[in-house]
Amino acid sequence: MRNRSEVDATLQTAKLNAAELLPVVHCLSFGPQAGAGECCLLQLEPGLCAELEAGRSLVIRGEKDEHAVLCSKDKTYDMKIADTSNMLLFVPGCKTPEQLNADQASCNIIHSQIAGFSNHYWELRRCRPKLKKLRKLLMEDPYEGPDSQKDQTFSKYTTEDLLSLIQASEEEILHQLQVLSACKIEGYWRILEFDYEMKLLNHVTQLVDSESWSLSKVPLRSCLEELGSLEPTEMIEHILLSYGRKYVDDGEVYFEMHEDKTCRAIAQMLLQNAVKFNLSEFQEVWQQSVPEGMTTRLDQLKGLALMDKSSRPETISLLKVEDLPENNQERFNSLFSIREKWTEVDITPYIQDLCAEKQTVGALLTKYARSSMQNGVRVYNSRRPIS
Amino acid sequence: GSLLGDLHYTREGVPVLIVGHHILYGKVVQLEKPFAVLVKRGAGEAGPEGLPACYTVTALIKTKLLFKTRPKPIITNVPKKV
Repeated sequence: MRNRSEVDATLQTAKLNAAELLPVVHCLSFGPQAGAGECCLLQLEPGLCAELEAGRSLVIRGEKDEHAVLCSKDKTYDMKIADTSNMLLFVPGCKTPEQLNADQASCNIIHSQIAGFSNHYWELRRCRPKLKKLRKLLMEDPYEGPDSQKDQTFSKYTTEDLLSLIQASEEEILHQLQVLSACKIEGYWRILEFDYEMKLLNHVTQLVDSESWSLSKVPLRSCLEELGSLEPTEMIEHILLSYGRKYVDDGEVYFEMHEDKTCRAIAQMLLQNAVKFNLSEFQEVWQQSVPEGMTTRLDQLKGLALMDKSSRPETISLLKVEDLPENNQERFNSLFSIREKWTEVDITPYIQDLCAEKQTVGALLTKYARSSMQNGVRVYNSRRPIS
Repeated sequence: GSLLGDLHYTREGVPVLIVGHHILYGKVVQLEKPFAVLVKRGAGEAGPEGLPACYTVTALIKTKLLFKTRPKPIITNVPKKV
């Protein structure tokens, strides 16, 4: 091992003045495992660093044909290899000048080992959780009710299954399950088949009507008593939780029915029966179909239906944003093949979910579309020809 | 292990690295985005047994010494052959 006189001799040869240097020197040598290449570097944002320091873990998710993502408990990041411009040597315990000045140790040689080195690292970029697959998996076997004659299939997923298949953080997955109104049946997450979901909702709204309850005060207990003979009580409670806001008053559980969500579901039920509807006829039937006391509004249908104000008569048809591609370019291609020119108002509900953390719809349109003026209105069309 | 060189600091805190016949001057950089050093656990075990691969974070690097200037050569006096 190098000694102080050897260090001093080197300083002399190098014509460095020891008086201008701190007294402590680090003699660096390669450690026994340095060349093994067993470690890799992961670049962390301060938030992720804090997660690790708090003792929490991070998870890398992805199947063989997918690009890997890294997940904390509530965020998802794309992973990419990046080169460092210089070689990085890892020297555990190497001291900075501040640390040396603070430490009044008497020794003036520190023999430091280089534990490893690297010229590349994993770079993380926050991304949208890849949740389209979640809906796809759950739609393999939607729950049609306890009387369903369907054979046992094995397309059923527990929370653990979903965590290993979906490239998203646990919180993002659980949140999306809530958005999808999924529920756990016998330990498996299930999406309700739409007709069954409407059947359940209809039971509730009919009961509210016949009992003359207020839509903002639907009692859980009575619902379970009255409807329990028709459907499993868990399903009745599930539909109330999906379409209402739960609260407690005087020890009893009530639900405030969600007007927008209810009207929207009923619109979907009507629209899926045909390709296109006369807009004014649809609006009339729709208002008549919703529970008494609820008011339908066209803005409840954002991301669900598309209106054509240029045709005579005006029409409306079903177009669900969740049926469209998840990838940005593919989404825009799909939208432009449905309609050549879009106004910002019409296209926004169909691209809003593509926005990254601080990105606006305007920024997306600038990137993926070309704008022009048509009859005094700004419209957007594809940047490239769509076949 | 084999020697790399000597790392000194000037009294102003500038890192000075002597590697072979070169002197490099650098600076201390606090990393805005720290690095985690990952080591694969069970690197030697063959065959998957349903156990997912696991990386252990063995260190968090928050500071680096950056040497990006051109190394200065150390010229030693070679005695003339008489």
